[in-house]
This record gives sequence, C-alpha cells and structure tokens, in this order.
Amino acid sequence: MSENGILIEGSRVTKRFGGITANDGVDFAVAEGDLVGLIGPNGSGKTTLINVLTGHLTPDGGKVILRGRQVSGKPAHIYAATGVARTFQLTQLFGRMTVLENLMVPGLTRPRSSAHEVARRARACLEFLNLAHLEQLYAKNLSGGQQKLLELGRCLMLDPAILFLDEPFAGVHPHLRDELIKRIEELHRAGRTFVVVDHDMESILRISRRLVVMARGRKIADGPPEAVRTDQAVLAAYAGL
Amino acid sequence: MRHLHVYILLAVAVLALAYAPRVNPYWMHVAIIAMFYGILASSWSLLAGYAGLFSLGHMAFASIGGYASALLVQWYGIPIPLGMAAGVALCCALGGLIGWVCLRMSGPYLAIFTLGFAEIVRITFSTEDDITAGMAGLHTEPLFRAATRLPYFYTAFGLLVVSLALMGAIVQSRWGLFLRAIREDEQAAAASGIDVARFRILAFAIASGFAGLAGGFYGHYIGILTPSLGGLDLMAVLVVMAVIGGMERLPTAVGGAFAVEFLLELLREYGQWRLPIFGVILLLTMRFARNGLLTPFWLHFVRLGGGARGAAAVVAPGRKDSRA
Amino acid sequence: MSWDYLFIQAANGAVIGIIYALIAVGVTLIFSILKIVNFAHGDLYMLGGYCAYYVITLFGVPPLPAMFVSMAALFTIAIILERLLLTPLYSDATERKDEYGLIVTFGLAFFLRNIAIIAFGPFPLKPPSFISGVQHFGNLIVTNDRLFAGSAGIVLILALLYFMHRTIWGQALDAVSQSREAAAIVGINPRRFNSFAFGVGAALAAAAGALIAPIFSLAPDMGVLPNIQAYVIVILGGMGSVLGSIIAGIALGESEGLFTAFFPDPTRALAYTNAFGVLVLMIVLIFRPNGLFGRRHLRME
Repeated sequence: MSENGILIEGSRVTKRFGGITANDGVDFAVAEGDLVGLIGPNGSGKTTLINVLTGHLTPDGGKVILRGRQVSGKPAHIYAATGVARTFQLTQLFGRMTVLENLMVPGLTRPRSSAHEVARRARACLEFLNLAHLEQLYAKNLSGGQQKLLELGRCLMLDPAILFLDEPFAGVHPHLRDELIKRIEELHRAGRTFVVVDHDMESILRISRRLVVMARGRKIADGPPEAVRTDQAVLAAYAGL
Repeated sequence: MRHLHVYILLAVAVLALAYAPRVNPYWMHVAIIAMFYGILASSWSLLAGYAGLFSLGHMAFASIGGYASALLVQWYGIPIPLGMAAGVALCCALGGLIGWVCLRMSGPYLAIFTLGFAEIVRITFSTEDDITAGMAGLHTEPLFRAATRLPYFYTAFGLLVVSLALMGAIVQSRWGLFLRAIREDEQAAAASGIDVARFRILAFAIASGFAGLAGGFYGHYIGILTPSLGGLDLMAVLVVMAVIGGMERLPTAVGGAFAVEFLLELLREYGQWRLPIFGVILLLTMRFARNGLLTPFWLHFVRLGGGARGAAAVVAPGRKDSRA
Repeated sequence: MSWDYLFIQAANGAVIGIIYALIAVGVTLIFSILKIVNFAHGDLYMLGGYCAYYVITLFGVPPLPAMFVSMAALFTIAIILERLLLTPLYSDATERKDEYGLIVTFGLAFFLRNIAIIAFGPFPLKPPSFISGVQHFGNLIVTNDRLFAGSAGIVLILALLYFMHRTIWGQALDAVSQSREAAAIVGINPRRFNSFAFGVGAALAAAAGALIAPIFSLAPDMGVLPNIQAYVIVILGGMGSVLGSIIAGIALGESEGLFTAFFPDPTRALAYTNAFGVLVLMIVLIFRPNGLFGRRHLRME
C-alpha cells in the first residue's frame, strides 16, 4: 500500500482512437475507502478511463499505478488479481453458464482456492444479492436488473479492494435500483472502494463522497459533490452539449 | 440408481472388449477408424466447443503428428511409441505456437488463419516429396506385426479411453470452467482474473497434442500417409461429426464421430453421395438442432445416473459427478 | 531468366489479380450486408464456371452470353441458399451468429464441393475460348482469353461501381451496410437486401469462374484457394473498398506471378505460389487480427 492512502492512480492518461482523443492527459487518483462518482456527457471519455484503469486498454500516454506499482500495459487479469474489479456498460456475463458458475469463475482464479470454499462463498454472495433461487439458471435467462446484480456479484467474488461500476443504474427498475444502492452502500461501509459511472445524477449524488466530472476527454472538476454541482465549468459543459 | 450411466458405459465397454475378437476384420477396421475420429472430434470439441476457438487446422495437426512419428521412426529407427510421443510433443509445441500467434483473433478470423495454416501444411507435405513422398504416400512402420487387427483395436480403444479421461478431467476441473468463460466473453473472463492468453494457448496445445496422437496412431495403423490427411475435406468431415453429435460436450462429439463413421460404411452403396448427404445433415443440424442431435439423448442418459445438467465437478462440489 | 518471361508473368499476374478482385468484391459485399465471412464463396465461383461450361457445351451458346446465363443462375441459386440457410442470422433468437455463419457456410462449401464431384466428375474440364488466338506485343505473347478475362473483369467491376453509386438499389444497399436500423426506418427492408447482396456476390463469383475456365481448367476443388486469396485481397484492399480490392487483387496476382518467376526451384514454384498467398494472409492477420473487414469486433468505446 502506498503511504498516502492512494489505491489506484491514473497519471496523465492519454488514449486515442484513430483521430479521436478519448482521454487527454487525465489525472485520476482514488484513495482507499472512497466512493467516487464519475460523470460527464456522452463521449466524454469515462468508459475509456475505466478501461484504462482496469487494464482493458493500454494508454497511449501516462501510466496507471496500483498500490504503488506501475501496472499500465499489463493484462487485465493482473489487475483483477490485485483487487480491481469492474462491471461493463452493457452487462457482460457468461451467458451460457449457470448463475452459480458465473460466480465460481472469479473465485476459482484465486490461487489456492478450493472448490468447496468458493462454492460456499458464491452461494453466500447469491443470498446477499437475493439471487439464490436462480442458482441453476443460465445467466442469459435472467432479467436485465438481475444480470446487473449478478455482474456485481461476480466482482465481489474477487474480494476486490476497489470496484469500478460502469452505468450500474442504466435501464434498471427503480425498485431494483434502490436495492443496488443499498448493496453498494453496505459494501462501502464494509471497507470497499468504489468508482461509479452513471448518468443517473440523483443516484450518483446520493451515494458519492467525491464527484469527478469529465468533458471532451479531460477532467474538468473534482471535489465534494456540493462544490462540484455549482461549478461553472461543469454547468457550461452540460449546457454546451 | 446413482451413477447408473457410468455403469452402463463400463458394461458396454467391457462387452465391446470381450466381443472384439469375434468381430470380422472389416467392421473391426471401421471401429478402429471410428475411434481415431473419436479422439479427433473430442479434442476438437475441447478447442471449438469449450474454448470457442473454431480452428480449421485440427486435421493438419493430426497430419503433422502422423508424418513426424513415421519419419522419426524411419530415420532413426526409434521405437514407434517413442515416435508417436515425439509427434505429440511436436504438435503440442506447434499448437501452442499457433495459439499464441492467433491470440487476438476471434471467430471467423481464427478460422481463416487456421485454415491457412492447414493449407500450408498440406501444400508443403505434398511438395517436399523427397522427404514425405508427396502424393504417392509415405509408407510407415506398422505398430504391430500381427496377423489380425485385434491389437490395433485394443490400442485404439485404450488411446480413446485415456484421451477422454484426460480431457474429461480437464473440462470437469476449473480449467474447463475457465475455457467456457473465455468462450462466452473474453473481456469478462479477463476481468474475472482469468489469464486469457495462457488458457487460449493451453487449449490449442492440448487439443493439438491429442490430434497428433490420433494422427501418429493412424499412420502406424494404416501403413501409408498422404497429405490429404490434413486437407480441408477431412476437416469438414470432422466438423460434421462433432457438430452433428454436439460439439459442446466430449461424449456427444465422440458419439457423432462413431455415428458418422459407421453410417459412412453402412451407406457404402450410395458411394459418392454419402459426403454431400452428410453435408446436408450438418446444415439441417445447424438450422434446427444447434446443440447437436445426440445432446438430448446424452442428457437423458446422464439423468439416469442422477447427474446434474452438464455441471462441472468444480461447480457441484460434494456431489460426485464422474461424467467422463 | 529473360525480360520476356518476366513480362509474361506480370501480364498473367494482372489478369489473375482482376479475377481475384472479382471474387473478393463479392466476399466484401456479402460481409458488409450480412455480416458473415462466406466460406463457400470459392465454391460459388466453381459452380459459376461449370454452369457456363454446360451452357456452352450442351446448348451451343457462345461463351459470353453463357457467362451472363451463369451469373443469372448463380444469382438465383445463391438467393435460394441464403433463404434456406442464412435467415436465422437475422433473428434475435439466434445466438452466436459468428459461429452459425461460419459452420453453415463451411458446411455449404463441403456440400457444394462434393456435389460437384458427383455432378461434374473429378476430372478437369475445359470450355472453349471466348476469343481464340493470341496477341503479340513485341516478343510478348498473351492469349486472347487472358486479355478478355482481364478486360471483362474490369468492366464488371466498373459496372458494379456504377450500380452502387448511381442506382437506387445500389444506394439502398450502401445504406443497409452502414446501418440496418436507419435503413429500416427510411423504409428499406433490410432482409430483401441480404438476399440481394448474397446473389450479387455470387453472380460476380460466377462471372469470375466463367472467365477463368478457358484459361485454367474447371475442377470441383478449384474454389478453395481463390477463396483464401479473396480474403487476402479484402484485407490488403482496405476494408470493403472496391477500388482497393482491384489494386490489391492485381498486387497479389503480380506478386504471385513474380514469386513463381523468381522461386529458385522451378518444379516446386507453382505449388508454393499457392502457399505464398496463404502465407501473406496469415501474416496480415497476425498484424490486423480483426481487421479483415473493419471494426465490427471492436467493442470498447
């Protein structure tokens, strides 16, 4: 652990796709135990930043430092092994595997894990997410909201220090959304760090301790939600859509 | 009765072994070839069905294994089993290499790449005729100097059982789960901590090794090797076998191989029509029974023994599921 | 090695390249509309060649009209095959469409090849020339058939370009390739264009087969390698660009011709010329692993 409490840090992250600069020298650090909301208009580079910070994209410039170690350029499973978990904007489950199997996979990737122990934890996780009765169903047959929950469960099976959630509330029934928020807050209280990307401002403001705003590939604001909400640059960015 | 399906399989195997000496040589030959295809179809199912790596180079590896073993035995006079082992090792290494080279390819691109690999192997084997004897065919040392095919039958049976046991152990273990996760979604698999590159290479190396084993045995059984062993037509027959049976399970892939090989012999009077007929059956299977024609029967059969629906042993710990 | 020999190889390479391009354009067209890599395209080319052959020999039709008959026949056959086999690709209920398209077209290729062996026999057949005789260019001798195949290939590709850019059907096809949803909104039925694109692709392949038949012979497995060469051209030609395909086709034909000319062992040159194109394909795929036809597989933002 680095001494200043920073868990993961992207420093001057730059990523280009063809002629488009999706991330332009973004500095983004997350302290242990924080719950960061990451917002910004469509195409502002949020998902790219998450993909870089979780090892799914290699940055063209800058670096990613995880617990004091530079990890940029390493494959994504190294990040997962170091306690970085993520969900995807469009839920990406193992469709033709059962709900239980979906949770077994990350558990079994941990060295010296025993199948018995992982199965016990997976079932506990399903209880926590209220999915226990669906254990033997194929993941593709779940409803959209259940799939989001299962994807969260798959993250938890890694026993991660930090979770990146990419649009967890998009297209989720309001009732299930409250359920999801409750789970996130519970996990946060238990000591896990979160970075949550979403367009649902109300939910983001409800849970975030810190708000980061991106626009056109750059970070334009970073601070406590109350301060950021009234920031002129932020208002301009959203108004100037 | 618990594990009823396992006992039934064991009983059938014992009966087959006991009855074998009385089978006429023709049908024994068919059975041996069916078992050769059984190893190939099941190892291809490991690669294409479990890991989702749709390789069209599988027969090329069988060809490489066959030629490697035959040539090593011919050049250095080493014992045939050693030659076959060397062929397997070579195929594992080459398979791993191909797996590594095509790490970033998916779906049709991987198929095109491996198709290209197979064509190059075939062209090289048929052109370098001062080494491989080209289209004239390379004469190989026979594995047994026996008057009957019986020893070959037992060997093929042993190789098939050992291959299935090893591959069955792999797909029932966490490796099998990881391969299926990679097939379903590589990004999500990586995000779950799976070293995707390592397992893709591993899948290629293992499957190619078994293909090399089958090819090595085939060469020393049949007595002559031609480059067409690695050609597109036999690859298509292999795809027909695995897909008709059900490519996502080892037993159904083997069942497909047996069924197609025996049908090819039974329908001998239809001569050349057999291949296009199987082409049509393949297309109909894809159109109307994607999971394979034998899969429903297999699932019913497994249920006889109280086995869970296709669940790997790692997923149902405590429940002993000894499906091979 | 004389200059004359090199020139002849170059001229032959250009003709073969144009024929390759004709096949490749069909592969691209089918990919851009149906989103599948057609593994049976080389076999449609083979069928086209045989079809022209039988129209010529059985009905005494001259070669050029026979080529058009063959194109029309393959257009129809392809649409029937597409309706029978590929419709599940357009349904949301079908999973793993990549795998489905792959196995079905691969199986179709297997079926067509083996049916061809039964129907046409395994032995090579050769139809009469389009225009018999040869042309002399100084010391160079080029057969009229090659000249004709080359020019007819170019005319067909130009006709396709005109069709794509100047006619309503072509414009609609282009719209569907860019966005099925948007095309559907403006009243284009994308399903009809799946059939149409598959048919046009097959017709172009049939023309290629008919044109090549008097130069090489017809054989049931004649489509295997051109199918692979078509993939090479599609990659080298830059993602569905028709002009790129022509240039890449000629470049591949030329480099194969020169490869044959310069290969040290002449007895093996021809065999390895085929391997050469395949090797180019593999190397290009290593560097552009998903790059055959653009960025369909790119899922990141």
